[in-house]
Parts: sequence; C-alpha cells; structure tokens
Amino acid sequence: MKRLTTAALMGALAMPVSAEEFKFAVTTDPQTMDPHAVNSAPVLGFLNNVYEGLVRRGKDMTIEPALATSWETIDGGAGWRFKLREGVTFHDGSEFNADDVIFSYQRASDESSDTRSWFAPVSDVVKVDDYTVDVMTTAPNPIFPDSIANWMIMDSGWAEANDAALPDKEAGNYATLNANGTGAFRVTAREPGLRTVLEPFDSWWDEAEHNLTSAELVPIQNPATALAALLSGDVDFINPVPIQDVARLQGNPDVKVIQGIEARVIMLGFDQKEGASETGQGSSDLFKDARVREAVAKAVNVPAILQTIMRGNAEVASQLVSPAMRGYSAANADPYAFDLDGAKALLAEAGAEGAEVSFKCSNNRYLNDESVCQAITAMLTQAGLNVTLDAMPVQNYWPELRADNFDMYLLGWSPGTFDAEHPVRFLASTPNEEKKLGSWNFGGYSNARVDELLPLIQSEIDEPKRQAMLDEVAGILQDEVAYVPLYVQPLVWGARSNVELTQRPDNFFLLRWVTVN
Amino acid sequence: MLSYIVRRIAQSALVLFVVGLVAFSMFRFVGDPIDNMLGQERTMEDVERLRAQLGLDQPFPVQYVKFLQEAVQGNFGVSFRQGRPVAEILAERAPATLELALVSAIFAVVLGIALGVFTAIKRDGFAANFIMSASLIGVSLPTFLIGILLIYVFSVELGWLPSFGRGEVVDLGWWNTGLLTASGLKALILPAITLGLYQMTLIMRLVRSEMLEVLRQDYVRFARARGLSDRTINFRHALKNTMVPVITIIGLQLGAIIAFAIITETVFQWPGLGLLFINAIQFVDIPVMAAYLMMISVIFVTINLAVDILYAFIDPRLRVSA
Repeated sequence: MKRLTTAALMGALAMPVSAEEFKFAVTTDPQTMDPHAVNSAPVLGFLNNVYEGLVRRGKDMTIEPALATSWETIDGGAGWRFKLREGVTFHDGSEFNADDVIFSYQRASDESSDTRSWFAPVSDVVKVDDYTVDVMTTAPNPIFPDSIANWMIMDSGWAEANDAALPDKEAGNYATLNANGTGAFRVTAREPGLRTVLEPFDSWWDEAEHNLTSAELVPIQNPATALAALLSGDVDFINPVPIQDVARLQGNPDVKVIQGIEARVIMLGFDQKEGASETGQGSSDLFKDARVREAVAKAVNVPAILQTIMRGNAEVASQLVSPAMRGYSAANADPYAFDLDGAKALLAEAGAEGAEVSFKCSNNRYLNDESVCQAITAMLTQAGLNVTLDAMPVQNYWPELRADNFDMYLLGWSPGTFDAEHPVRFLASTPNEEKKLGSWNFGGYSNARVDELLPLIQSEIDEPKRQAMLDEVAGILQDEVAYVPLYVQPLVWGARSNVELTQRPDNFFLLRWVTVN
Repeated sequence: MLSYIVRRIAQSALVLFVVGLVAFSMFRFVGDPIDNMLGQERTMEDVERLRAQLGLDQPFPVQYVKFLQEAVQGNFGVSFRQGRPVAEILAERAPATLELALVSAIFAVVLGIALGVFTAIKRDGFAANFIMSASLIGVSLPTFLIGILLIYVFSVELGWLPSFGRGEVVDLGWWNTGLLTASGLKALILPAITLGLYQMTLIMRLVRSEMLEVLRQDYVRFARARGLSDRTINFRHALKNTMVPVITIIGLQLGAIIAFAIITETVFQWPGLGLLFINAIQFVDIPVMAAYLMMISVIFVTINLAVDILYAFIDPRLRVSA
C-alpha cells in the first residue's frame, strides 16, 4: 500500500501538467451516451463531440456538410437526397455507409426514442446505393436539413452486436454507457456523475482544428464551487458563469469571460381560455382582452430589468425568436415600448384596474428567473394590477402550467430547429393533440390566420415567400400581444485565459474548436 | 430478554414502514419527473404514456406497496435519470460518503478530545481562551459557508488543495478508495474539515465542561493530596470518567455526519450519496430518492436498535420494565 502511494506521488511530481489535457465543468452531467434516447441539451451538446449527423452546424450556426457531402430536393419537394461521405470510419474501425443511416433513422424514430418528433414529417428513408440516401417527406419540407443537425448516426453493426439496436431510456443498455460515433473525439472512460474522458479520434475524416490530447468533462452543480475550480485552475472551462460574478472575473487576468446571447427568448404568456382556471386562482377571462395583454407589454420596463438583474448582459426581444435565428422577422424588430401611462389608460379602458392576477414563475429554470418575475410583479402593481407571484422549482412548474393554474406565466423558448417556424408550431398554434400542434401553448392562444399559415410555411420551398408568411405571423402575434417577449437570455462562459474557443448560440460547447496555448 | 429484543425489532420495522410511507406521500410535492425525461418536443400523449409506464398515475400507497414488494427482493428499481439499477448506483457512491464520514469522524473525535482536555487543564491560559473563542466560529457558521471559505483560501488563493471532487480513485473491485493516492488524500482534507468541524467543536466543548466538572470532584483532590503526578490525575482518572457521556454523544453524531454530508458533498462536488440525493431531488428521480431515504432510515434505526439492546445488557432494569 505504501509503495503504491509513493509511486502515485512520484508520478504526480514527475509528470508535468500538460496544457492540452483539458478539463471542463458543466452543471448537468449528460445522463446517457445514447444519442437517440434523450432529447435534452446537456446530452446532445456533449454527444456532438462524439457522434455526427449527416449535417452539422458551423461556428455561425449555418448548416454544413458532415457525414453527407451534399443534399438536394428530389421530385419537386417529395424528399431530400443525401450524398454520403466515403471513407469515414466509426471509432471502432467499422465503415460508415447508407445502412448506418437507415439504421439510425429507424432507431431515432422508434417509439422508444425521445428524438422521434424530428422525423414526424418523414414518411420513409430509402437506400439508393451504399453512399446515397433518400429521405421522403409527407409534404415538401424546406428546412428538413436544418432540423436534423442533432440526428446522430450510429453504427448498425456495433449497436446490434451489443444488443443496443433500440434506445432503452428506462432500463439502459450498452449504448447508455458506451459510445461509438464518427466524431472528432471518442469516449475512453465514462463514470456517470463523476467524469467522462474523451480522446481525439485519430482517423477522423475532417482536419482537427483543436490541439487537445485529452478532454475530461466533470459535472459541478454548485456555481460557487465551479467558479472556485476555474479560478484555482482545477478546470479550464465552466458553463455557466453566474451573472453576478461576471464583473469580478473580468478583472482577473488568469481567466476570461465569453459572453453572447443564447437562442432562448424569455417571454410572458397569458391564460386566454374561456372561464377561470381549474383551481379558480386569479381572475377569469381577464387576459382574453387583448388590451389587458397590451397593458402588460407597456407596463414592463424590459431595459430596466436587463440593466439591474442581468447587469446589461441580455438583449431586448421583439418576437418569439432571437435575431440569430433563421426566419427572424426584421419587419417586426421593434419591441413594445415602456409606457406606464399608456398601460394605465388601457387598463382603465378595459375596466381591469385592480384586477387580481395570479402570476406563475419558475425559480430554477432560466437565469435569475425569480428575480425577473419579482421585478415584473412590482412593475405591474405600479400599473394598477393586483399581482400575486408564485415562484416554484421547474419540476413543479410544468405540471402547474399543464393544470391551467395561472393567469400569467414566464416561459423561455429555444427553437430546436433554429428557425422561426418552431415557436409558431409549439407556442402560437391552437392546441391540437392529434396534429401535435401547440403542445406548449399553455394559455390557449388561438388565431385562425396563424393556424392557416403554419402548414404553408412548413412546406414553402421559396425563401422570400416563406419569409413573407413568417413576417405576417410575427406581425399578428405582435399586434394581438399573444405573448410579451422580454429578452434573449445571455450566455456566459468562463475559461482560463490561455483557452481559445467558439461560443455558439445553442449553448453547445464543441471541443473541436478548442485550442490551449 | 429475547422478547424485549423481538419487540424492539418489530418496532423498528414499523418505524421503517412509516418512514417509507411518509416519503412516498411527499414525492408528489417534489414535482413531476416526466418533463425532465421527455424533451421539448413531447406531446401530451407522450406524457400520459410515460406516466402510465412508470406507474406514476397510480395513487401513492399503490406505488409504495409496489416499491416494498420489489425492495424485499433486493430490487430497488431503475433510476429515472441514469437508466441504471439504483442498487448499482448506490453501491458506486457509498464508498465516497463512508470514507469522508469516517475521516471527518476521526478528525472530530481526536482533535475534539485533545483540545477539550487542553482547554480544561489550561483553563486560564491565552491559548485555551483563544481556542474557546475560535470554536464559536465552528458552532455558529453554516457548513456551506465554511466550505466555500476553505475553498477560497486553500484552493483559489493559496492553490494548495483541489477545489472539488475526489481526486484519483483506486478501484478495488468491491470498493473504490481515494485513500491510496496523493491526489485522493489531498482532495479529502477540505471536505473532511468542513464536515467534521461542527462535531469537533461540539465534542471539544463537551469534553471541556465534563472535565472541569470531574476535576472539581473529591477523588481528584484526594489524588492530588496523595502526590500523584498531574499527568496521572488528568489522563488516568479524570479523562476516563469524562468519557462516558462523550461516547454517547459521539455515537449519536455518527448518524448526523452522514446526514450533514449532503451539504458538504454539494459544496465540494464530492461524488457520494448526498450529492446523488440532491441530484435525484432536482430531477425527481423517485427510485433513487426512495432507496436513499430507506437506506438512511435503516442506518438510523439500526444504530438506535443496537444502542437499545446494549442498554438492556448494561442495565437489567430496562429488561423488566420494557
């Protein structure tokens, strides 16, 4: 035993700490290594280092070739043809071809997979030859390649040999703990909740931009601990940095802060259904009146909230998506202006002065969400509404929204496809279980023209026409105050000052762009 | 005697049953795991399907009975979050917590008794007064703050010790230990101090007051009159008689160390059971929460049962009256 200790000590002394051994901390450990089991940002963000899709997103979020070298629509929009890259191997050495794509489609669109909604518009995937695949869609689908950047390809032989042909989220299987992708890094050790070690994949098809010899992911939940680990050099990167510590880090020459805005827009939603909520909380039908919603929009001083609570780290939002998204409506770029007197006048006109409002808010889902809600409550009180704020952890929050126990609520939305059509489908469509529309439209906002435009937007190949329809929808939502967009959530990463990296608005941290000097 | 023990065991089983029942009735208020398990693009249909699949649509007594049926067969279910058997996860995490608890218990007992004796003997010395004042910090500062403070001083400012984690771990197959590597030992220092500080000050203050009490006793005065050396009086006679209540407290505090480990483990990202439990709460991982709570209550009930039975051996009056 003693010898072992001495040997370990000697080893630690003799081995100079190599700069290229990169350690990065995240708040949430990716819960699985299976790219098709769970549709969550920590998992997909991490696995993007290990697995690859047919297409991938570049530093500026544009779609670029990955396992497919080119793609085109076929038969006037009946589907998409992907030409696959030849000579690509998986980490275990087996070759990549069309069979793996078909297999990954079946696996990722299976009942047991969380990612199957990505394939809702797909009717079939057909192998043309070993390096050509046709994806047939039920209707023309112009943004299909954009929507599958996170659909990762798994080796069919490996999955079948290890009895992992289908994802098993409940009981787990071989692919839960092991990975075999084509990506720039391969998983060499995986201890759930403790650490996950990656090493560069020598036979990667693309040229490596990074200079890492190994990378280790460690989950650190407590933000103060993560910050201390970064300051002491125990880790080279943390995400996120608490907003209130940004100024302190900026004054420290050993570390740097990388700031940007995320794809996530934070907004207020309203109960616009008939009748009171199930529990009778709040006033019934108050927010069915668009004037009251507009009064809220005018009464909330978003720049002031960003100045104080976000310390100037966020941007005011004008619509349901941020300017970085495809299909953002430049024609509707003006946010609601703060106008307290106008808000009071509107409330008086609607006869809603002093009305009871039950305001629900999460307290651990978005950056400083509870403080933001408190500020909003104070602002609305000033305008003459009688607001009761109820903030709760996110695991209690969604059931509360589903049960319709609110008049007004806070919501953040990050479009999975990075396209403006996404929030229209989930937040602005009239809820329709059968068509899978409006599944996050808790308030029941409904507009016939929006419902009519959505399928047209989804199948319009012509870019200007599509944008015109998206502009129309954005205009309707703004005029009717369907939601009150507040701000685009900031992204704040911290790194040692010798680290060069790229920050993407989807909050994915990709090791292939990391260099350590 | 036997009937006493049997009755004690039956009572313990009842306590365990009630603890589990209360725990299960509380899980509904922790939140809903479904949204964490399904992505943004889930439909209501998915939500209902998964809820039925996990049995969460059942009333909690039904869920509890199901859990008990499985648990008595040694099956604690599968973690909602990790998709792995809970028993496997607990076994993986237990060594970290037990090593930390053991080291901080040793730290608390050894240093607590030593300082307690010292401050009792040199009652009016400057050092003793200083230690007594400083010990107020240990009693009054919350664990969380002490941990952050230690990290700030020893990791961030001085750079001597790691700020988080368990360092290099050696896997012995049935146990993983951080006690065999330099980085593992270094990583243990700050969390062990953080976790043991409160117990240390408690033991120190208790030893001191007990010792002062004993030193006033007649037999100590007589021993002194007999011309025995200070050393013999202090350690052979006084300390021995001080230890009786101290040992009782130490026994009771052992459970508390494991329970307090939750906070210390969160601050230091110590990969033990406490951190696992906090994680489980955040993700409403009901199988992990249930198994952890049952395990902790089994530990507490077992300690109490052992103490009760020991008392019965020591004190025959208990056997009759019970």
